[in-house]
Amino acid sequence: MPYLMMQDITKHYPGVAANTDVNFAVEKGEIHALVGENGAGKSTLMKILYGLEQPDSGRIMLDGKPVIIPNTYSAIRMGIGMVHQHFQLIPSLTVGENIALGYESRKGIFVDRTGIATRVRALSEQYGLQVDPNQRVAELSVGIRQRVEILKMLYRNAKLLILDEPSAVLTPQEVDKLFEVIRNLVHQGRTAIFITHKLHEVMAICQRATVLRRGKVMGTLEVVSTNPVEIARMMVGADIDTVQLTTTSRPGIRQLHLEQLVAEDDRGLKVLRNIELSVHSGEIVGLAGVEGNGQHELLEVLVGLRRPKSGQIYICDTLATNLNGRQRREDGLALIPEDRNQEGLSNDLSIWENLAITRYYTAPQSRGNVLRIGHLQQKARELMQRFDVRANSHNTRVGTLSGGNAQKVVIARELAETPRILIAAQPTRGLDIGAARFVHEQLVNLRDQGVGIFLISADLDELLAVCDRLIVLFEGRIAGRLTAAEATRETLGLLMAGRSTENEVTTS
Amino acid sequence: MKEVQQVFRVLITLALALVIGGIIMQVSGKDALNAYSVLLQSALGNERAIADTLLKATPLIFTGLATMIAFKAGIFNVGVEGSLYLGAFAAAWVGFTFTELPALVIISLAFIVAGVVGGLWGAIPGYLKARLKVDEVVSTIMLNYVAISLTEYLVLGPFFVPGMSNAMSQEVALQAQLPRIVSRSQWNPSFFIALAVFFIVMFMMRRMTIGYEVRVLGSNPTFARWAGMPVRRIIVLVMFLSGFIGGLAGAGQVLGVHYRFVAGFSRGLGFDGIVVALLGRNTAVGVLLAALFFGALRSGGATMEMFTRIPRDLIDIVQALIIFFIAIDVGFGWLRRRFAPLTGGSETDLLAEGAGD
Ligand SMILES: Nc1ncnc2c1ncn2[C@@H]1O[C@H](COP(=O)(O)OP(=O)(O)OP(=O)(O)O)[C@@H](O)[C@H]1O
Ligand SMILES: [Mg+2]
Repeated sequence: MPYLMMQDITKHYPGVAANTDVNFAVEKGEIHALVGENGAGKSTLMKILYGLEQPDSGRIMLDGKPVIIPNTYSAIRMGIGMVHQHFQLIPSLTVGENIALGYESRKGIFVDRTGIATRVRALSEQYGLQVDPNQRVAELSVGIRQRVEILKMLYRNAKLLILDEPSAVLTPQEVDKLFEVIRNLVHQGRTAIFITHKLHEVMAICQRATVLRRGKVMGTLEVVSTNPVEIARMMVGADIDTVQLTTTSRPGIRQLHLEQLVAEDDRGLKVLRNIELSVHSGEIVGLAGVEGNGQHELLEVLVGLRRPKSGQIYICDTLATNLNGRQRREDGLALIPEDRNQEGLSNDLSIWENLAITRYYTAPQSRGNVLRIGHLQQKARELMQRFDVRANSHNTRVGTLSGGNAQKVVIARELAETPRILIAAQPTRGLDIGAARFVHEQLVNLRDQGVGIFLISADLDELLAVCDRLIVLFEGRIAGRLTAAEATRETLGLLMAGRSTENEVTTS
Repeated sequence: MKEVQQVFRVLITLALALVIGGIIMQVSGKDALNAYSVLLQSALGNERAIADTLLKATPLIFTGLATMIAFKAGIFNVGVEGSLYLGAFAAAWVGFTFTELPALVIISLAFIVAGVVGGLWGAIPGYLKARLKVDEVVSTIMLNYVAISLTEYLVLGPFFVPGMSNAMSQEVALQAQLPRIVSRSQWNPSFFIALAVFFIVMFMMRRMTIGYEVRVLGSNPTFARWAGMPVRRIIVLVMFLSGFIGGLAGAGQVLGVHYRFVAGFSRGLGFDGIVVALLGRNTAVGVLLAALFFGALRSGGATMEMFTRIPRDLIDIVQALIIFFIAIDVGFGWLRRRFAPLTGGSETDLLAEGAGD
């Protein structure tokens, strides 16, 4: 009898069959991968298991007993824990407070802070998840936030761990660390369900993989006796071609130029030091680096939300340092932000409203301060088609889209009108293989049309696949510059870890 | 579906308030059912009662809409009261200064000047918020006191009318006084101006770029900024519009009811706008209905007191209960959002608090 059995689970949203007759079984002590395209229903199935959604029909058996999971509290009581695709921490609280929230140990009526801190420290030592219980979550990098999420599950004594795309936001080093932690946990008798779009990760740590396609189970595979190609075929229902993207750049005029750029973060610490770089039309320049080395501030500076301390920004030959975001966009800038939920979308608004935001104020999108809603909706439908955004209609609330489809909305908007310079931060985060490939093709196409592309990514494979040149950022400095030919995972990895190759300063 | 739920929640709020208000009455020895039926009679029973209801609803429609516009953008404007006072004074000033103008011109001018003055007054905290990140709740509350005292000073000082014992201005020109429509009621055409503003606001919010900007800003200010929206300008503009409508409310009261500016005349019409906006679930139609409901309560309450032994305080109790239940409802929504991470809601609302710059 498997440890967990979800039987004939069906969950339909208006117009969407998120799960249809799903049968899913997990053995005790295994790491079980759940894979499938964007919108296949992975998160939905896990939300049902975690008590966040109620199935329309179906049964759940845990440890051989039928259970009903009406809410997350009962899920937690049954030993189920979940790390969500989008982190659920409260930024203004400390690590310790976040971990203990709702499950505080008490002294009388008071929260026992020292008790909590002690327990958090003990857990973090036991599993090698270093955190400072007294630090505010707002100050933490994504990798650390995830550690906090995992500790939160462990604090609540979760035996069945659900990890929804935990590796999407991590750097290779952080992923390795995460895997170590998961293996460690499983060794101690816990069980893990692991959602990912990266099949080599499935091969690396999972024993079995269940494949979902459009809400239905396609099958469960033993990892030892399968390979990524087979899994991918099952996910998509067809072979995906793995042709190398052509990387022949013909750099033209300069489209983006940063000159001796210096910037500080909100606390007044220098986070960008003398950044000097250019991106020309017809080339893809990659910015590699572990998250938290100044990328976020660089993006803010580029989009006009953070004033540099010194230095200049040129966008398409215009001095843009003092221009606002809208002016920069009018000069030909497009930007895909890192965090789609915060910076890239408004979850409460519809797809068409999210797509309209870059150009709504000019003709033909509006006429004399009146929006041409019909026109905007028509355009939204076209974009949804072109970028394969799977949703009921242009009126669908973005918050109800699957992670990958939401990301496609951002990409569709930014690529809708061919920009002159595209800044893309983690553009394929959360996208399935097919969709990620589609985005890479789009990037290469745009480059071939003469767009300058600045790709900021923590995904080395992505950088190596599409970039013509690479720049490595470490602690706010440029630690190295490489051509595509020179770059390997190893050299990049070393530079990202701060081992500067002193042969740099070949300013482009 | 969602709308049905919203309407349902509003109805529950009202029902609870009326039932508990009734219990309080019953306990204090009055006949609650009788009181409510008298109330209904006095609010809607005859032509004059209905006219009075519409009269009382008029300023609430204005101030409710004014508050709603700001709320929608995520700006907690508590300063409609201040705009209302300044607008009222401005309308009175036009009314007693340009006495030679024909009726239509002087009335239009008074409303426009009142709107602009109220709007500029609202734009001040808007500017402070947009530029210097001054919290609008604090600044608008303080500016309310300034507005109330300033207008009082104006009628006691520069515009003092010799021989007048109260702090009030001259009467506005005869042709500027809005006519009464129904005999024995002060109901006047400013109600139709409020209705026109209602339709304009609805159009603005649904169809115009500013409405779209307000939606984006109110739902996720970070997104608005990253997408290059001129967030600061929008904040100032929204506060101007909010104040503009607040100013119109003042003009309506002066030209339609008092025919002059009377210091301290409003007694919280601007704040009532907050309750109206919240009860109306921050939608234009909701605001209209909520304003009519409160209008009925008030006009009914006044008459009821004359004919039964039930004190008008009942109205205040019911109103207080409504505020109480709205606060609970809104408060729960806030709590849910605050602790959304536990229940799996989205984290975005949480981070989206406050519109920033
Ligand atoms: N609350 C909701 N209301 C309406 N539709 C929803 C809701 N939640 C999910 N859906 C729809 O259900 C389908 C499955 O979504 P789900 O989030 O489970 O996909 P997923 O497999 O996790 O995809 P991804 O890899 O992109 O995260 C999608 O089409 C999505 O739009
Ligand atoms: Mg998902």
